Amino acid sequence: MRKYDVLVIGGGPAGISAALATAKKNLNVALFEEKEILGGQLIKQTHKFFGSKDESAGTRGIYIARKLINEVENNKNIDLYLNSMVMGYYEDGVITALVEGKMEKFLPKKVIIATGAFEKSLPFENNDLPGVFGAGAVQTLMNIYGVLPGKDVLMIGSGNIGLIVSYQLAQAGVNVKGIVEISEKIGGYLVHASKVRRLGIPIYTRHTIVKAIGEKKVKGAIIENIETKEKKEISCDVICLATGLMPLSDIINQIKCEMKYIPELGGYVPVRDENMKTSVENIFVAGDSAGIEEATAAMLEGELSGLYASYEITNIFDDRINKIKKRLKDLRKTSLKIVNGLKKLNLYTDFNVDSQEDLKELHRTGIPEIERISQITPKNSNRYAIMECFQKIPCNPCVSSCPTNAISMDSLNDIPKLDADKCIGCGNCVAVCPGLAIFVIDKQKESVLLPYEFLPIPEKGELVDVLDRSGNVLERNTVLNVRKMKDKTNLVEVKVSKENLKNVRHIRVVK
Amino acid sequence: MDEEKIIVCRCEDITLKEIRDLIKQGFTTVEEIKRVSRAGMGPCQGKTCGPIIAREISKITGKSIEEVYKPHNRPPFGGIFFKEIVGEKNEE
Repeated sequence: MRKYDVLVIGGGPAGISAALATAKKNLNVALFEEKEILGGQLIKQTHKFFGSKDESAGTRGIYIARKLINEVENNKNIDLYLNSMVMGYYEDGVITALVEGKMEKFLPKKVIIATGAFEKSLPFENNDLPGVFGAGAVQTLMNIYGVLPGKDVLMIGSGNIGLIVSYQLAQAGVNVKGIVEISEKIGGYLVHASKVRRLGIPIYTRHTIVKAIGEKKVKGAIIENIETKEKKEISCDVICLATGLMPLSDIINQIKCEMKYIPELGGYVPVRDENMKTSVENIFVAGDSAGIEEATAAMLEGELSGLYASYEITNIFDDRINKIKKRLKDLRKTSLKIVNGLKKLNLYTDFNVDSQEDLKELHRTGIPEIERISQITPKNSNRYAIMECFQKIPCNPCVSSCPTNAISMDSLNDIPKLDADKCIGCGNCVAVCPGLAIFVIDKQKESVLLPYEFLPIPEKGELVDVLDRSGNVLERNTVLNVRKMKDKTNLVEVKVSKENLKNVRHIRVVK
Repeated sequence: MDEEKIIVCRCEDITLKEIRDLIKQGFTTVEEIKRVSRAGMGPCQGKTCGPIIAREISKITGKSIEEVYKPHNRPPFGGIFFKEIVGEKNEE
């Protein structure tokens, strides 16, 4: 029997953060991960994270993972059990796990469960044909093993995962035929939607997949408009399901923590208090297994559970506990769904989310309307940034990137405002915006400066296709300048004819 | 829509038609359907099919998801050999 102060189950962002928080209090920690590497879903996240500049905003998930894993490996208080699956919990507090081919027993004072999530499946005809993938599998193949899942992909689900994976597929050179969304609104952040729309990927809202076509493998799909019942056939060799996640709660359930079915949080979740304690003494939860959110919340919850578990052991209260709770509230200020779910757990009872403006057509298409763009277009400037960021999200790296303080936000979730008189059009904000939603227009030079995350990177003087917000080619014109950035969001300034200045948002290399 | 070509439980290869037939026969909880059909008894232990079956039952009977779907979990959570529990020497 091996004894520990704290045993953490799950080596993703929540589990790592929990282990680090407790280890830094000089407690002995066992960190269990069933796979051979730490990092959970973070190691597939090649996009930049939203959030506050104080945390990891603007950093790609893979780099956050690298930093966290490094910290764990260099911490002497953490015993890392990789390839080790936790097998059960027993009433005397003993946990069994399969370690190096042997069932071992562990006796911790506190247990933190951060087992993450499981992908939801979808019933449709021929849904067992080879070529039907979960979005997680597609990301694993592409971003961990460097293997393409296919040539033509149909994405099902327009939540953040569906949008981001579509973008990553396009970056890898895969043809994304469309994104199918059953609801009337796009599920994920609209800046992510705009990113895929300008690549020319259509989003079919109010549609669902009814059938996969093919004998031995997927050759196409039939999608249906859920109102008109009109059907459309799309040829593809991959159908990628990004239809939501559910908390992976089998261990929590086996421990007999009180569970509640809360659709807003993805399914059955453990009842817990604001310190992440479940109904069973000494058992904590954190991250997606406590309710589906995103990685920043998972890391904060992990740290919170770790600090609180440490407090119960050492009796020394760390004031960071309160700071994290406040941070989580800031982060959830615009997440109506999450907050409604938490209210069902009797948490956040007197908490009100910020109202979101009805974004109408933008929410259905992912393409900002002309009126919306004109409203934020300065009248008297020659060179200015245009911030196509219309939805409240907790994100602020643009503000501090500006050398002339031209960008302001009242709070983390506010929509950034530009003082055009102060803006010098330097493009710093274009490079840092995690949503790739900022562009610099130069009326005199007749150019657009845009963020570019594709290969090959064009060279100065090269002719490229210039595309509008829906991916239509407007013209072919010259690259005026290329700034290669360390974080791989490169800046390309392209010459554009006067009438297209308002509409150019992407380029395509043609050589 | 051909219900026989829609797989609900991919571990045990059980179709939507089989699930709907069972519901019509009066098996109206995920647990009952698991016991008569093996849906949810494969490697993923009902994580894929459980929510889908629950939704089907709820749609047909009008009962809430919580009423028809209460997962039970028991250790061990994954496949394990006897030798991993008792050690190879004790195999005889």
